Amino acid sequence: MDPFQTLGVPQRYDLDLGALEKTHRELSRALHPDRHMGAETGKREALSRAVEVNLAWRILRDPVKRAEALFSLHGVPVGETNEPKSSPAFLMEVLEEREALDDAKQARDLARVHAMARAIEERAQAVQDSLAEAFSAANGDRDRLASHIGKLGELRYFKRFLEEVSAIEDTLAEEI
Amino acid sequence: MPSALLDIFDPKAAPRPIGIDLGTTHSLVASVRDGRPETIADCDQEVLLPSVVSYTDHGVIVGRAAQSRAVEHPRDTIVSVKRFMGRGADDPETRRLGPYEFAPARAKEPNVVRFVVRGGREVTPVEVSAEVLRTLKRAAEDELRIVGGAVITVPAYFDDAQRQATKDAGRLAGLEVLRLINEPTAAALAYGLDKKQNGHFAVYDLGGGTFDITILLLDNGVFQVKSTGGDSALGGDDMDRAIAEIVLRDLGYETGAAHVPTDPSFLRLLLDTSREIKHALTIALEAEVVLPDVHGRERSVVVTRERFEGAIKILLDRTGVACRRALKDAGLKPEALDGVILVGGSTRVPYVVSYVKGLFKRDPLADIDPDQVVALGAAVQADLLAGEGPRDEVLLLDVLPLSLGIEVGAGVVDKILPRNLTIPTGARATYTTQEDKQTGFVIHVVQGERELATDCRSLAHFTLKGIPPMPAGMAKLEVTFQVDADGLLSVHAKELVTGIEQTVAVKPSYGLDDETVEKMLMDALDYGEEDLLTRRIAENRLEAHRIVTATEKAVTSDAELLEPGEKEAIGQSMMELAEAARGNDPGRMHHLIEELDRVSKPFATRRMNRAIARAIEGRKVDDVERRVG
Repeated sequence: MDPFQTLGVPQRYDLDLGALEKTHRELSRALHPDRHMGAETGKREALSRAVEVNLAWRILRDPVKRAEALFSLHGVPVGETNEPKSSPAFLMEVLEEREALDDAKQARDLARVHAMARAIEERAQAVQDSLAEAFSAANGDRDRLASHIGKLGELRYFKRFLEEVSAIEDTLAEEI
Repeated sequence: MPSALLDIFDPKAAPRPIGIDLGTTHSLVASVRDGRPETIADCDQEVLLPSVVSYTDHGVIVGRAAQSRAVEHPRDTIVSVKRFMGRGADDPETRRLGPYEFAPARAKEPNVVRFVVRGGREVTPVEVSAEVLRTLKRAAEDELRIVGGAVITVPAYFDDAQRQATKDAGRLAGLEVLRLINEPTAAALAYGLDKKQNGHFAVYDLGGGTFDITILLLDNGVFQVKSTGGDSALGGDDMDRAIAEIVLRDLGYETGAAHVPTDPSFLRLLLDTSREIKHALTIALEAEVVLPDVHGRERSVVVTRERFEGAIKILLDRTGVACRRALKDAGLKPEALDGVILVGGSTRVPYVVSYVKGLFKRDPLADIDPDQVVALGAAVQADLLAGEGPRDEVLLLDVLPLSLGIEVGAGVVDKILPRNLTIPTGARATYTTQEDKQTGFVIHVVQGERELATDCRSLAHFTLKGIPPMPAGMAKLEVTFQVDADGLLSVHAKELVTGIEQTVAVKPSYGLDDETVEKMLMDALDYGEEDLLTRRIAENRLEAHRIVTATEKAVTSDAELLEPGEKEAIGQSMMELAEAARGNDPGRMHHLIEELDRVSKPFATRRMNRAIARAIEGRKVDDVERRVG
């Protein structure tokens, strides 16, 4: 399945997510069973189309999944077992940041957790910007794209870090 | 629309759709007549039916008569049954409330409590609610002759179990449930907000016993719940208690729980009087009552509006906290709202109106009776769904209130459908086996936002069996979630690799499977004299009517999509179905419904494809216009 085609947008990384959300909503509206006459078969077909549309929307709105989809569509295999391992330097840095986050959590220091999250968000944005540039510059060339696959691993790490932050926020909020 | 086909159905006997507000303290029914939604009164000219059901030796009593039995027969008289919908016996909400006796929990039914009432009879919340709905249906039938489909409202935060239970109650009452819609959405529909404007709206709902605040985003017919909040133990009853305390003080009682008189009939009188004072203060600036004082002498007590307001400020401040939190969750400042709607009888209190005005910095919309606004909105939606209203202009898209997922390794939840997706919706995910020679998958479906399955609401457990032994990671399990327009979930799972495809459909059951419902329907009073055949004829006739109406409309509006000969074939099929619908053979009607469905399917697919293309295209035109403009 090509999620870009399902939602009728060009295959590029920097999508206008606000516009895409509206398209998703318009499609949900178009596929609503109330819009379709007849009995069960029409409704079932509408619903299975709605499943495809939602799947596409979930992929395209997620920076990691969107990158994975674009790499796959251009023949670059993705998935943690298919991609080259991240550099030891990056892994080391990752480990240290995780420890710092854990310290902040133990200290119930929500302000520090937030500051770390903001820093990671900025770095994630920078990686996304460079991915957008890479996808656009490669112009569909498989080998040129393959050289950027390492960015995917970084993006995944940042995503997990931010998920951890949101879990910490929930836990600390409950304690209050 | 003049139509030869539709004339076949006698217009006087046409089924009339209804909207129902199935409330915690009271319920009511409404329908659209001459283009306007109106509530339907019962034979005593009362619109509000207390949601109270009392089981006696001589049958079931519903409403005011049941309410008056509550003090004497607390176990047999179920009040506020809505709080128990879709909840298990171990649920904290269930344990907290009331004088009821519960039957021991049954292993396979985690989301059902059973009340033990008169004569050791066990009844579920679904059955109790069905009694309320049946009473409303009867009132509607007296007024409208033939009742068509029904739209029933539910709180925006209701989860799948609670929604399913509500729908089952509707079916059990012999209603064809067209749709469940969220109460705040219904209120917005009653105000006609769907066609007037887009923007953010707050729905402030202060009822007899509960407070709900909902922030809605309206965007061209999409009603998205941005946040909800509230207090399930705060409402008009607390205002009555606040007045009762003032009155007791004036009657010479000392303050504090220890000094409250214990005589139940005096307490009843006191609370009823307090309620009357509250009602009087809606218009008057002071109210006077005469009651026996602490020494048994009659004494006059005057409660001014000022004293009343002083006593309830603390209650309203609690609603204020919930409102500010809901705004924060929605990421909005009060100034960013486009309107505030008042729902619930307690919002008649003038101080509540001014409090809400201060809170949201604007005059709230209050010109529709706050007790009726939800039922009126439900009637509007029922009318639209039955194809009576200007359906193409309005399409209501509620959203999934809570995320749905399945439990994967280590008790972690994999969210398959995140909250706030517009419904109906669906999604798929694939999983694989963890162990060599694993021949079954256990699938645990949960709902909620938390990461661990134990912190979420458990909806269903099922096992996909019979997978041939393979090394770990070889089998591929595809799980599909589908949520229909009522917000109800069904789950399908199949194993892809082996070629042996298996599909398991899971419809979480809340104590009643389809057969049980069918049997109960037969046993129920309404169908005492009828047989199954009569019911099947009625059901198929309704379905035939709806499909012919919809097909007729589609053929007229999208005639250019018909291929040569198709119009005639569809027309012929419609004619046959309409003809059969006049007869008494449900099997033939069912067969012809399927036949019409088959004949019109290619046309239906073409319409769908065009709708999809337009949805995508419309976006592009918009973009271009924005860039140019």
